[in-house]
Amino acid sequence: MNVLIIGNGIAGNEVAFFLRRARPDCRITILSAERFPEYDPCSLPYFIGRDVPRDAVFRKDWQDYRTHRIQLVLDHPATAIDPAAREVTTAPGMRFGYDRLVLAHGGSLYIPPIEGIDRDGVHSCKQLGSADRLDQSGGSAAVVIGSGAIGIEAAEALKKRGYEVTIVELLDWILPALFDPETSQRLAANLEGCGIRVLTSEKVLRIEGAEKVSAVVTDKRRIPCDTVVIATGVVPGKALAQTAGIDVARGIRVDAHLQTSAAGIYACGDCVETVDACTGEDAMFQLKHNAVEQARVVARNLIGEPAAYPGAWAFARAHFFDTHAVTFGKTTRATQCELGQLEIIERDEGADYLRIITKEGRVVGGQAIGRFGDVIGLFIGAMWRKDAIPDIRANWPHIIRKGSPYPWTHRQLGESIGLKP
Amino acid sequence: MPKNNSAILLIDSEKCTGCRLCEMACSMLHHGILSPHRARLRVLRFDNGRCNVPVVCQACEDAPCIKTCPMNARRRIGNQAVITDEDRCIGCRACVYVCPFGAPVVNPDDGKTLTCDRCSDEDGPPWCVRACRDCGALKTVTAEEAVARKSRQRAEQARAAYPPKKRPAA
Ligand SMILES: Cc1cc2nc3c(=O)[nH]c(=O)nc-3n(C[C@H](O)[C@H](O)[C@H](O)COP(=O)(O)OP(=O)(O)OC[C@H]3O[C@@H](n4cnc5c(N)ncnc54)[C@H](O)[C@@H]3O)c2cc1C
Repeated sequence: MNVLIIGNGIAGNEVAFFLRRARPDCRITILSAERFPEYDPCSLPYFIGRDVPRDAVFRKDWQDYRTHRIQLVLDHPATAIDPAAREVTTAPGMRFGYDRLVLAHGGSLYIPPIEGIDRDGVHSCKQLGSADRLDQSGGSAAVVIGSGAIGIEAAEALKKRGYEVTIVELLDWILPALFDPETSQRLAANLEGCGIRVLTSEKVLRIEGAEKVSAVVTDKRRIPCDTVVIATGVVPGKALAQTAGIDVARGIRVDAHLQTSAAGIYACGDCVETVDACTGEDAMFQLKHNAVEQARVVARNLIGEPAAYPGAWAFARAHFFDTHAVTFGKTTRATQCELGQLEIIERDEGADYLRIITKEGRVVGGQAIGRFGDVIGLFIGAMWRKDAIPDIRANWPHIIRKGSPYPWTHRQLGESIGLKP
Repeated sequence: MPKNNSAILLIDSEKCTGCRLCEMACSMLHHGILSPHRARLRVLRFDNGRCNVPVVCQACEDAPCIKTCPMNARRRIGNQAVITDEDRCIGCRACVYVCPFGAPVVNPDDGKTLTCDRCSDEDGPPWCVRACRDCGALKTVTAEEAVARKSRQRAEQARAAYPPKKRPAA
């Protein structure tokens, strides 16, 4: 079997190395748009912030590919797929045949249509190459456009490097996809406390500068700066598949075995649209653990195991300086258009905050700051199992002796939502 | 050969008295001081100590902490324990949040996480198991024993759920 993988990222490597362990004899080739062994995009902000040396971002070294006989073709972004001929063309014009093809080329940075966005001094940290340029650029005042997890991490990194940092967010609160306003406002206050300026409900109109960036102009003010970081989200890479006639929606569409609409072509990672493992709804979470799990399902299908993918799960942390926050499942906003009785359980104790979202008595999501984060894993478990919160309340305080299949888990859950021991 | 253990740490909370000698032993071995806050396992106490539950990393087979760590600092070592690589850990607590048991402990000295390595550098049983000798709440068993126990447990649960019908007296 000749397996061709497009993308040398988290998903592509997981497929390749998993496959190699199971099949010592098949041919495995990875087409890479970049010139590095596998690195972890999640680690990039911490290398920029000098928390770790650059080496620490890598998940593989060159030798790993040699040892596992995985052919890595650098600087060869795929430009076209011909499913009928089973062939992929790359930018330098080479053609690669395959028996099975895996699309694992992730997503690309969303570049908002802002005047001046191509100026010198406008950066991103989606890929190692761009992170390297940001790391080496030097400067003293930065504006981060977008306040998703990547924007917040980039802001912290630059603050640690001594920059004056401003975050500009178009929507009304930061981390809008991950947290509810109640949680976000606390996080924004903490960012301000660390000396990072946070501007919400503000639209960037243009980036000014002669040769180099000199300011960001919003609908409310002009912010002088020498560095701009674009962190406005990641769009799934679907054009390559779409042009080849493969079904796409928000991302590349796949069946339960992660096969695309074209036979013999699989897809995994940030480029696919899947379902939420808990709710069965369409999901586009673009998180590392989902990329890894999807890649393993693809690899198992390639070796003939009919593995089905149970779905993706939303889980993310927000961490800067001494602030530790986490979110999982759905936000209140995401549940608002749904039927069913919602209950928001909140604990608010100084720096510590807990927000659990339940629908019809079942946990569907949650957010925590500070010490409540220590028990968030128990709530994630309760969401997976669909534990009934009303039962925990009703059986309290006999929960440990009788009345629960997960006695001490439920006891801790009960205490966390404020039931008294 | 890894030292002492490819063995699995087995917890019997029914037998735990909440004495916390395990925490002491753990912090002593790993940090050279008696400090429960630095121990890699914790005893939760409920109902004024009538119910005690030792919580320790289970080194899950498909460990979620390994997949979610942004720094790839969570890794499996020779004896199958899953530990935090301190050179890579940035103290973000992703492993704490995602753990179904909340097992990882945050080291108060540097904010990095600590989990049980089953005393991988020691000969003989882990220190917590030695400290628990009198109660027997913590034990090490081989992987085969653990599997056997699990199926026994399952059988018992099934029996409890579906009690055998009483035969009518002949
Ligand atoms: C700064 C940052 C922080 C993040 N933090 C977190 C976090 O804390 N937790 C979390 O769960 N997730 C995080 N993520 C998201 C996570 O990194 C992704 O979900 C994960 O990397 C997806 O894996 P992937 O293999 O699908 O894509 P990638 O890892 O992005 O790999 C795709 C690869 O394909 C290559 N490629 C693209 N086009 C082509 C082409 N045409 N031909 C050949 N190769 C191509 C790219 O160069 C890239 O190497 C973060 C992402 C970033 C950028």
